[in-house]
Amino acid sequence: MTSARVERRSMIPSRTLRLTFIVLAGLFMAVPIYLLVVNAFKPQAEIISTPFGFDLATLSFDYMARALTSTRFNVVAAYGVTIALVIGVNIISLIVSVPAAYVIARSLKRRYRVLMLVLLAGLFIPGQALIIPGIYVLKSLGLMGTIQGFLLFETTLTIPVSIFLYVGYIQTIPRELDEAAKIDGAGQLRTLLKVIVPLMKPAIATAIVLHSIGVWSDFVHPQMILGPASGIYTVTTGVYAAIGQYTSDYTLVYPNLLLAVAPILVFFIFMQRRIVGGLTSGALKG
Amino acid sequence: MLNKITTPSGPAVLRAAGPERAERTAPRAISRRRRAFLDSTGQVAFVAPAFIMVTLFVLIPIGIAFYLSLTNWNGFSPNPGFVGTANYERILEDDAALRAGTFTAILAICGTLGCNVAGLGFALLLTRSTRFNSFMRALLFYPYVIGALMIGFIWSAILGANGVINSALESAGLDKIPFLSDPTLSALSVIAVTIWAAFGVNLVLYLAGLQTIDESMLEAAKIDGASTSQIFWQVKLPLLAPVVTVNIVLSAVALLKTYDLVLSLTSGGPAGRTETVAYQILAVSFSNGSLGYGAAQSVVLMVVVVAVTVAITSFRNRAERNVAA
Repeated sequence: MTSARVERRSMIPSRTLRLTFIVLAGLFMAVPIYLLVVNAFKPQAEIISTPFGFDLATLSFDYMARALTSTRFNVVAAYGVTIALVIGVNIISLIVSVPAAYVIARSLKRRYRVLMLVLLAGLFIPGQALIIPGIYVLKSLGLMGTIQGFLLFETTLTIPVSIFLYVGYIQTIPRELDEAAKIDGAGQLRTLLKVIVPLMKPAIATAIVLHSIGVWSDFVHPQMILGPASGIYTVTTGVYAAIGQYTSDYTLVYPNLLLAVAPILVFFIFMQRRIVGGLTSGALKG
Repeated sequence: MLNKITTPSGPAVLRAAGPERAERTAPRAISRRRRAFLDSTGQVAFVAPAFIMVTLFVLIPIGIAFYLSLTNWNGFSPNPGFVGTANYERILEDDAALRAGTFTAILAICGTLGCNVAGLGFALLLTRSTRFNSFMRALLFYPYVIGALMIGFIWSAILGANGVINSALESAGLDKIPFLSDPTLSALSVIAVTIWAAFGVNLVLYLAGLQTIDESMLEAAKIDGASTSQIFWQVKLPLLAPVVTVNIVLSAVALLKTYDLVLSLTSGGPAGRTETVAYQILAVSFSNGSLGYGAAQSVVLMVVVVAVTVAITSFRNRAERNVAA
């Protein structure tokens, strides 16, 4: 018994071994970003001859400048479009989801239990499978290829997660607060806006952060709904248009990818805790 | 702020709905009902926008997918022609579609296994909240935020014929490795990159699960002389059972939908060997204008995803109950 235990103990990797393993894994995760940064400023020949190297003598901002001013894909314009879409989706999502979640969380009626399940159905239906019939719906509404159509469709995809987060959160807010507001004569909308919403700030912030990442990095829906014909490019559809056919021209690939990835990585560095917290509360509290 | 509102005239929605009803009800009754909850008109008004949007863009499309799958809609014609089950029969005879189905299944199974083993493994290694561990967690997690399309492009620049690894091999005088052009290697590359990109989410969820485990239980096990591996298999893993279920479902569902990563990493190549079902729907059927056929593929994907979710959940429920018993 004792000898078996000792034997097992010795199989456990020592502290140093464990540390080395973790550091190697970290390097493996970090290398792609290192390559993006280094190779965005090198000529093609040098990227191919010394992909890992970094030579200050041949460092050049030309490729970055070319990516920034490209007529095929204007990154700066795409930032603007994407940020506008992110803001639009978040605003509509809030307007639509918060009141619905409030009713679902507060009502004891069975029909709102059922409604919640219906709203959550979107979580289990793959978006890729909804896009063709979704396009059919958008066409019949005359919204295909329009910003409005995209915003409505994309916002709908945020509703399940929003409802899930908000209902759970509102249920932790004591009902007495709603009652007090009502006794003071506040209408339902006022109670929601002045009492409940201010208390929901953490849940709302979490939802906004998750939806922002989702919309920023979404490719399928802007590509399919807005499409190249609309001339409206987000960062992802723009990068696809810029490098999709030219993946071997690395002086095009690296600067474009770096420009596309940098803003969301900066966002991640500042919002890390909220992103991780949001993911876990979204997935595990079910 | 709220004290300033003195009019007891009730919410605007209620007034709009019918003043006579409000008058007829005794004031005390109103206040009791209000204390219970909003009036029902208000409730409907609050849930209506979300319900309408989900109806328009989720519920109706599910129905339309079934309808379109029985037609030869090309995306433009206003009246799709009815073709019965021809589209479904076509799937069964379409080598490309069947190959995509097989590859998607392999990707989902290997990816789910890989993501969960890596996620749980690193969660165990990084459980303690030190500054170093937090940094490493962020490093293992970050691909989640940059999106599958970008990840595919980045790795195609690393694994491609003239990519980083092959350039390095060439300058070292070694043979190139056809990561993205050999049928088997390209499939393995897609699976490996998928795991690289996605296990961070599993890591984060497992960490959250591990943090809910009562320290005293682990202490007790240690005092009883349990080894680290015994503690893992007999204490931690059973307590994590619900978290394992969530992780498996999330991974499997996400991987069955794989599209962006394949598009930017291999474009489904070589010779369609890494095409997934979603790739077939979006990049093949959609761009060929055979949307009726694409809708049939969508229906199959939808049914498979729902079936897999239900199957895993019920299978795991049994496992969770067995552990509890």
